[in-house]
Parts: sequence; C-alpha cells; structure tokens
Amino acid sequence: MTRVLKSIARRWTTFWFEPATPTNLAVSRIVVYGPLAIFYLLHDFSAWGDVSSALYQPIWLFRTLHLPVFSTSVLVVMQAIWKLSLFMAAIGFLTTASCLTSAVLGLYLLGLPHNFGQIYHFDAAIVFTFGVLALSRCGDALSVDARRRTSRHDSATVPLASGEYTWPIRLVWVTLSLVFFAAGVAKLWTSGFEWIASDHMALLLRRVQYHISDADPLTNWGSHIAEHPLLTRGLAATTLLVETAYPLALFRTPLRPVIVLAGIGLIVGIRLLMGPTFEHFLLLNAVWVPWDRVGARLRARVRRRHAAKFDDAACQDGSSSRRKAIHV
Amino acid sequence: MSRPRLLLAHLLIAGVVGGSLYDIVTRQEHWPFSNYPMFSDVHRSSVLRWPRLYGVTAEGDEVPLLSYRELWPLDQSRLPIGLRALYTEAGADQRVRTALRDVLRRYESRRPSGAHSGRPLVAVRLYLVSWPIEPFAANLNRPNDRRLLADATLDE
Repeated sequence: MTRVLKSIARRWTTFWFEPATPTNLAVSRIVVYGPLAIFYLLHDFSAWGDVSSALYQPIWLFRTLHLPVFSTSVLVVMQAIWKLSLFMAAIGFLTTASCLTSAVLGLYLLGLPHNFGQIYHFDAAIVFTFGVLALSRCGDALSVDARRRTSRHDSATVPLASGEYTWPIRLVWVTLSLVFFAAGVAKLWTSGFEWIASDHMALLLRRVQYHISDADPLTNWGSHIAEHPLLTRGLAATTLLVETAYPLALFRTPLRPVIVLAGIGLIVGIRLLMGPTFEHFLLLNAVWVPWDRVGARLRARVRRRHAAKFDDAACQDGSSSRRKAIHV
Repeated sequence: MSRPRLLLAHLLIAGVVGGSLYDIVTRQEHWPFSNYPMFSDVHRSSVLRWPRLYGVTAEGDEVPLLSYRELWPLDQSRLPIGLRALYTEAGADQRVRTALRDVLRRYESRRPSGAHSGRPLVAVRLYLVSWPIEPFAANLNRPNDRRLLADATLDE
C-alpha cells in the first residue's frame, strides 16, 4: 500500500515539479501575452458601462463578490491599465506586477460581458492562464527584468533548472484538458449516444446559418456537410472522441501531439462551420510546445549551416591556392 | 522550490482542478469555471424558433438587426438570449421594453458617427421568429411565423 502511495507521490511530483529550464515558461509567457495584447488593443470594454441595467443578469462571480458594473469612464481607465499590463507582461517588464494586474483586471473585464445575457466560453481558460502566470516565475528568462538583473550583477547568471518552471505549464495543460473533457462529458451526460447517432449535427450545422451564434460561421460548408448523414455522424463521433480523450495528452505518449492538433482542429472547425469565436483560446496551445527543444534544434541547424558555409569557403580557398600553385 | 511556493502551487492546482471538477460533476457554471454545456443538447425539431430584433424605419420598413456594429457591445446571440431570459419571466414586460429602448438609443447615438451603416430607426420590435430549417438558410428572409413579443420607441 505504502509502495503504491509512494509511487503515486513520485509520479505526482514528477508531473508537476520535474526540474526544467525557464525557457518553456518564458516563451509561453511571450506567446500568450503578446498576441493577446495586440488582439485586445482595439477591443473596447467601456461600452458595457453604458448598457441598461435591465439586461444585467449577474454571473456567480459578480454576484458573490458584489462586483459593480463600473461607469464608462472608469472602464476606460481600467482597460487602459489592463492593456498596458498585457504588453508589459509580454516583454517581461516588472513581470510579477504586470502579470498580477493583467490577471485581476482581466478577471473583471473579461467577465463583465458575461453578465449581459449569455456566458461565452472562449475566455475562461485565458483567465486561468493569467492567474497561473501571475503566480509563476515566468519573467526569469527572456524578459526585460532578466536582462536588467544580468546587467546589474554584471554577469550572465542563468536561472537553474527548477520545478518552478514546470508546474505553471502543467497547470495550463490540465486547464485545457478540463475544458475539452468537460465539453465531451456534458454531451454524453445530456444526450448520450444520440448526440452521434441522431440528425443532431446536421440540424446544428444548418441552424447556425440563421445568424444565431456570437459570430457567423466563416463558411457555409456546414450546409454541404449536413447533406451527408455519414459525414455528420462521423463529425459528431470525432468531436466527442477528441473532447473526452483530450486528457490523455497529459501523459508522455506519442499520442500527445496528435490529440493537441486534433483539439486545435476542433476549434478551427467550430469557427469555420458553426461560428463561435475561440481564436484566442488557440493561443494557449503554445504551452504544449517544447520551446527549449525547438530552440536547440534551430540553433543546431544554424550551426550546421554556418559550418557548411565555412567548409565551402575553406574548400574554395584551398582549390584556388592549388590552382595558383599549379600555375606557378 | 521553497515550502511556501510549493504550498502556493498546490493550492492553485487544487483550486483550478477542484473547481472545474465540481462544475463538471454538478453540471453548473461558475464562470470562469464551467461544465462547457454548449451544443450538448440534441436538437430534434426541424423548426428553428429564435427571438430576433427588428429595427423599424420612419417609412415603416422592418430590418433585422444582426451585425455586431449595430448591436455593440451586445451581439446577435447574447442579446436575444438575454432578452429571452427576461421575457420568459413573469411581469418583466417593462424590463424588456427598457432593454430594447437601450439598444435603440445606442444604435441611434452611434449611427451619425459612422460606427455602423444601418438605416435610421424610429423603433425596435422583438419577434419570436420560426423557420423550418433549410439548407443554406435559404428561407432566412421568409420565416413561416413571427410573433411580436415587445417593442420600444425612443420617445416613450
């Protein structure tokens, strides 16, 4: 029994706190905050302060914490600070403070629209990611802060490998897995096998052409697909399989890239065929990429190319000096 | 890792995983936690019934209000679903009219600046519209039934 418990504890510790270099976490910080800073730059949350309270249907978070809907002018200031914090977090300037600001203000600003009519699901995982990164040490590398620290100490101190750089990434993995898994379970629980076997998917693909999603599907291919019952049932079965099996990506198996890519495909498919906008949710998949290995491969390739060029140059020099010698 | 940092990490892990599992098991939503119920209900009906907002011009024409720019910051899904939650409530007629008037007010106040290219409106009407579902929404502009739920003008 104790051996089993010890084994579980060891696996738990390895999964969450296996020592890693700060590269993956740092690149994930840049890839998550950078594009989101650009994405939200022109997005205006202040209008929510102008929407009639008649439409206000507070969600749990706002009700429990008694969060008010601030006036337009207050929201203008809040969103300006938030957008600045996203940029600062991306470049890693005052990283901890920037990430904390983006997490706290992001929770409010991203949550605000959900109090008016409907809860959308594209930004919940982003809120969790902001929270995780805010409590992580994601600014230890590839950041302005790291550069300043290095110049202050006048030596290139590289942070040691630590579990500090592993658990935040793993927690975002788990968050993404829970999103997909929950969606799959909800379908099975609510509708069972009928979700695949009935004409539901065909009807769904046709319904969304009537302008009922938060955004219209990018294509009308859904209507074409709906003509073929085998195709729609295959699509439904694939959706359910990818969603419920997604947590398998947490385990170190060759299936991981397949599942992650299938999840991305699902999101892209939803946008193309059904409408709902999950584009920035896609960004979070950056945390699956082993950036340290990608970097090492790129560096090796560059080194090989340089070496090849050097060899070519050396060969040319050699042959020309040989030619000169013959000529002499 | 220091002990306090280890504890913090475990608390966060427990919070995220525990909160998510709670919503999944109890089939509830506590945003940002959710059981992600979208599209989980099986659609059996071949008729789509949807609350749709129409703008009324001075000439009496009715135009569906669909674009994000016209409904901003609401949209063609959030607004009808929010209104549906209201009009299904007993005694919420006045609240629905207030919400409609608010949409119209914002539409008209944003129109002169070119924030959207919609026609000038004097009123909005909320209908429950029914369409027999057709491929490519071929009958989008020919619903087989429209039932007026509420309307509002600016000068009420």
